[in-house]
Amino acid sequence: MYKTDVRGKLIDGEKSLSQISQEILEPINGKTPKWWYAAMGISLAMFAWGAHSIYLTLTQGVGTWGVNNTVGWGWAIINFVWWIGIGHAGTAFSIFLLILRQKWRTAINRAAEAMTVVAVFAAALFPLMHMGRPWLFFFVFPYPNTRGPLWVNFNSPLFWDFVAISAYLLISASFWYFGMVPDFATIRDTTKSKIKKAVYGFFAFGWTGSSREWLRYEGLAFVLGGIAAVLVVSVHSIVSTDFAVSVEPGWHTTLFPPYFVVGAIFSGFAMVLTLVTLMKKLYKMGDFITENHVDAVCRVLVFVSLIMGTAYITEIFIAWYSGSEYEMFTFFKNRITGEYAMQFWAMFIFNAVVPQLFWSKKIRRNMWIVFTISILINIGMWFERFNIVVTSLSKNYLPANWASYSPTLVEIGFFIGTIGMFSAGVLLFFRYIPQIAISEVKMISKYNTQQTDHLKPGHHHDYE
Amino acid sequence: MITNKKYLVGVFDDEHTLKDAFQKALDKGVVIEEVYTPYPIHEILHGMKYKTHISHAAFFYGLFGVTAIIGGMYYAAVIDWPLLFGGKPFNTFPSFIVVSIVATILTITILTLLTFSVRSKIYPGKTADIIDIRATDDKFIILLDQDKMGIEIPAVTQLFQSNGASEVYEKESSAN
Repeated sequence: MYKTDVRGKLIDGEKSLSQISQEILEPINGKTPKWWYAAMGISLAMFAWGAHSIYLTLTQGVGTWGVNNTVGWGWAIINFVWWIGIGHAGTAFSIFLLILRQKWRTAINRAAEAMTVVAVFAAALFPLMHMGRPWLFFFVFPYPNTRGPLWVNFNSPLFWDFVAISAYLLISASFWYFGMVPDFATIRDTTKSKIKKAVYGFFAFGWTGSSREWLRYEGLAFVLGGIAAVLVVSVHSIVSTDFAVSVEPGWHTTLFPPYFVVGAIFSGFAMVLTLVTLMKKLYKMGDFITENHVDAVCRVLVFVSLIMGTAYITEIFIAWYSGSEYEMFTFFKNRITGEYAMQFWAMFIFNAVVPQLFWSKKIRRNMWIVFTISILINIGMWFERFNIVVTSLSKNYLPANWASYSPTLVEIGFFIGTIGMFSAGVLLFFRYIPQIAISEVKMISKYNTQQTDHLKPGHHHDYE
Repeated sequence: MITNKKYLVGVFDDEHTLKDAFQKALDKGVVIEEVYTPYPIHEILHGMKYKTHISHAAFFYGLFGVTAIIGGMYYAAVIDWPLLFGGKPFNTFPSFIVVSIVATILTITILTLLTFSVRSKIYPGKTADIIDIRATDDKFIILLDQDKMGIEIPAVTQLFQSNGASEVYEKESSAN
């Protein structure tokens, strides 16, 4: 068995259990900082623009967007895939790191899961509006109906996607919520405010922390964790089949499912990094989210970034190696060079090159650089989706069909609106929900020496 | 539900003293009513000898889900409203798999959550039967039912205190 200093301390400062509760609950019990109101105001203003854009789309139709017959999928689908990708971090964090027994996840998983729920919700808005007549949305449910009875097409990736996204939203939300129940009970039992006691008491579901409850709670976490792990891989694979199953140059490739899943985890972890650096700076959670935690996320990102780079180069290589002139045209004339070269290189540099800076420990420990790189990755991942959606569609097999695409203000507003919705959601989370899983942090506080201590022979505690 | 019972409550400050006292009490044949902790402790869950079959239940929910979903799709696509897509078979089974996996996972999740809620009696708005309010913060509580604990109060008080209990007190619980 090995024992290394690789991970460092998980909680800084010698904290008692009650200090852990108090410090994590400080944002809920204390005074709301001024910047919070400012940030909320900006988020709501952005959201208002988004709501106005949705209103225009609803009343005037998809004609208000820049999409045309050739480029039928524009910003809406780019943003959909981008948000879903970001939404993968929560489950990836909670589940994969749980399976891998990574104790450092406990400080971050709550924020990642919260982010997931808001991001998936934001994502779901785009295909909904793209339907053109969203009020007929219920047609997508397979149920015996009076329209024929016409069933949905079970062979269509778009239907698979609908099932996957709905399931993902429900499951990640319930996984997140049940993780919070013991923490809500902690708020109920420690707060001095009567209103908080009543409200959090309602949401605490009568939790007392008895051994009977914990036993079943652990069983539930085991079941949900085990099956949601499948979901992390399947949801974005299904999103990729929206593309891969169609016969468009640049889309029709078996690389897509793993490429999308890895990309999703990449962008999700980058967004987690953005959030935790903010939590460290703005909420002084640095004792719980230590430099070691940020360091660990950065290391994951270096690794995933290498996979991303490999995927980009594989795509280009296969385009050449296949000898298909359409594939070659798409990659060599319409991505690496040509009208959309800027977007391609932004994607390549932000996702495959810039994260390589994380090889340096100095950079991993500098929160400002980490924050900046995490933002760059998010931008890079947006460009990746732009590349996939727009370049393939704009110049496909028949030159007579070629068209270019640029978004209208309505599409831009819609996107900005979802960013506003996301940040408003995250701000509400910061303010009203324990940002860090209190009971889980308490559980690891006893191992607060080296991360790898639990690998010692004879040291068993397999309750996670 | 707790009704007019006399309890003895042992309060511990940390996991190690709790585990020690818990084990020693078990060795002496003390019947422990319940243990309340801020986080799950494996030794306690093991020692209390409760069992949960939630993962078995989840497995059967999965069996039920996958049968219902594949059956439902087969019914819709083959029996109820077969559609010809360029001579392809009505039963396009391999492409049913995707929906089957995801919808089965959803079925398992929903039913397992319901099971958890029913079996643990955890539901929205429930009033908690709080023995010691500090148990969700930083104290570890062992609860004994004075009628059933199988040991005299002074003996068990002494046992707890000599094993690091910070408090031992009696508590009478009225019906709630």
